Amino acid sequence: MNFFRFILQNRSQVLELTAEHLWLVGLSTLFATLIGIPLGIVIVHWPRLNKPVLAGANIIQTVPSLALFGFLLPVPWLGDRADRLAILALTLYALLPIIRNTYTGIRGVDPAVLEAGRGMGLTESQLLLRVELPLAVSVILSGVRTAVVISVGLATIAAAIGAGGLGEFIFRGLAMVDNRVILAGAVPAALLALLADVGVGWLERRLQPR
Amino acid sequence: MQSTRAAPVIEFRDVSYQVAETHVLLNLTLQVQSGEILALLGRSGSGKTTTLKLVNRLVSPTSGEVLVNGVPNLNTDITRLRRSVGYVIQEVGLFPHFTVARNIGLVPNIEGWPEPRIRARVEELLQMVGLAPELASRYPHQLSGGQRQRVGVARALAADPQILLMDEPFGALDPLTRDELQREFLSLQRKLRKTVVFVTHDLREAMRLGSRIALMEAGKLVTILSPDEFLRSSDPWAAAYVKAFGDRLESIATEGKS
Amino acid sequence: MRAAAQKSSAATMLIVLLITLLSFSCSQSHPDRIVIGSKNFTESLILGELMAQQIEAHTNLKVERRFYLAGTYICQQAVLAGRIDIYPEYTGTALTAILKEKTGREKQTVYQQVKSEYERRFGLTLGPALGFNDTFAIEIRGEDARRLNLKTLSQAAAFASHWRAGFGYEFMERPDGYQGLAATYGLHFAQQPRVMDLGLLARALHDHQIDLAAGNATDGLIPALDLFVLDDDRHYFPPYEAVPVVREQTLREHPEIGPLLADLENKISDQEMRRMNYAVDGQHHDAKDVVREFLHQNKLAP
Repeated sequence: MNFFRFILQNRSQVLELTAEHLWLVGLSTLFATLIGIPLGIVIVHWPRLNKPVLAGANIIQTVPSLALFGFLLPVPWLGDRADRLAILALTLYALLPIIRNTYTGIRGVDPAVLEAGRGMGLTESQLLLRVELPLAVSVILSGVRTAVVISVGLATIAAAIGAGGLGEFIFRGLAMVDNRVILAGAVPAALLALLADVGVGWLERRLQPR
Repeated sequence: MQSTRAAPVIEFRDVSYQVAETHVLLNLTLQVQSGEILALLGRSGSGKTTTLKLVNRLVSPTSGEVLVNGVPNLNTDITRLRRSVGYVIQEVGLFPHFTVARNIGLVPNIEGWPEPRIRARVEELLQMVGLAPELASRYPHQLSGGQRQRVGVARALAADPQILLMDEPFGALDPLTRDELQREFLSLQRKLRKTVVFVTHDLREAMRLGSRIALMEAGKLVTILSPDEFLRSSDPWAAAYVKAFGDRLESIATEGKS
Repeated sequence: MRAAAQKSSAATMLIVLLITLLSFSCSQSHPDRIVIGSKNFTESLILGELMAQQIEAHTNLKVERRFYLAGTYICQQAVLAGRIDIYPEYTGTALTAILKEKTGREKQTVYQQVKSEYERRFGLTLGPALGFNDTFAIEIRGEDARRLNLKTLSQAAAFASHWRAGFGYEFMERPDGYQGLAATYGLHFAQQPRVMDLGLLARALHDHQIDLAAGNATDGLIPALDLFVLDDDRHYFPPYEAVPVVREQTLREHPEIGPLLADLENKISDQEMRRMNYAVDGQHHDAKDVVREFLHQNKLAP
């Protein structure tokens, strides 16, 4: 079909844009994990911070992504390079599922297990690292999975502000009124999201505590 | 009460514990001698579990002192304290992501014991609590309730603590298994001679296992008596318990004690 | 134990994957090909195609086209990141939208300012101007221009009170759009100007729905509909000369491109650009063919 031949003919561009897309999603998810998991741990142990942190992450989620990209454009340093801006915005959007799942995962640990652990003389950090986190890892990964799938979709919008990625095909295709170009962006993006969902899901099941 | 020939292993001096407006414990004074099994008997809300938790500082007193081996336990490093006291709870609380062997060997592992020593100790403990050595590589969800609690006891004994605290340890088990574990616990104690404090609401269990029974009601210590004394006691609360638990308590009181 | 081994192998896989991704995306240079971008309107497309064919005709380089990029900012980001090597920009737009400086009046001054700033700030080179000035064009019907003998905006201002004007949304909003124009020339229209889609302005003018409109100087429909562009004698509008923007790194790797782009200097007049725009927009010819013919006719390529 036309579409497949198009992909084949333009495979270097397709690969390049896919790599850009993965870069945007990969880096932002990594940052969100590095920030979100510790934050999730913090709000478990300091419950007073629970409401403000989760509320904050929630508010970010409610801002329409294109609007957030637009807000950040005039910011110096950030707005100068669209990929920086996009990675920041994508990181912010990925925070809520990760923070929330870290919180839920750790809170979901059987309190009897924690009591036994404390009674045995495990320090709080030993408890966290040897018991709580390993038991929560599956739930946390589920949050990461959500974040990745969301990011793959949001990253297509990032092309609107020049960050590159598969969204560039979509926007160009819209301007050219050429479906093949649109699909050359939309189909790989959808496949990426699917792959991420299945891949991380598999990892979740492997690491599930019995 | 008993005269103290040697210093008590655990001592409560006028200990009170208050949460908001509630007096969970009031003016508790109590001594636990080395090698004895003290049963803390009472209804829910009597403060018995709180008393237990005051020993390993899962709870801190509002006033008064808890001394372990003569030292106020607030002065001892909390981690050292807890590692020198075995703790067994009703739900067991085995780490589901560790094998039986890793569960039992966790404290030795944290204390830095060499692997071979840990393995040997795990083997030894499994035998002590009556579990087949093959179970070492199983996970908690693969075990029965009785097997899990045996692992719980083994885990508590791993670093060879002097004191063992048990909070209704056999409460979640069926009567047959409970009976079995109680019997085995008695024979284990004959060998190990630990200082044991255990919480129960079951007079039969208190009489069977305890060398003394401390009866608690509404945060106060009502009386401490040996099982025989308890049966014949004229204290209204003790008498109420005896009545509630029916007959054939005599035989339980004398069973298996040396 | 097994669980720990599983976890560490999973973690290792993830890390290896991430490193692969990052290294893959980090190398943005494409040594054997040139990527040419363009914005998403016909004129930009034609200019992009022009530069592409010019390079293809005289070198062995593989030229990739990434046209219809959705705007100035996107093109700028793409060329900074190395996703494209060359794209056609306008000096006025570069000055105000990218460099965020105040607009200038003189073509040469503006060109020099943009050129030196681009080199200093971005490591981008400006090729020489292609010849035309795609500035805002204030248009009236040809018949009115002839009847009233109007050539300049100053002359036309006298008749403003009899006329209805029509402008695009952006022109109305920009401070250097309608408001500045009205102030500079003392334009007072009878009614508020009608705001409409850019594409409809020329038609509306032709059909007597409006009497004056602001379009693009190189709009193909100007000759087709017999519209007349009034001269901006007070130089209100900044110059929008079309120039190639090229990455310095690209020029270093392929020095042959420089002279090829220089050959295009001043080759396209306002009129010529209008003709090509109309050929694509109005007559629906393929931009590739229009450009090929142009290059052939001007002896730039076989």
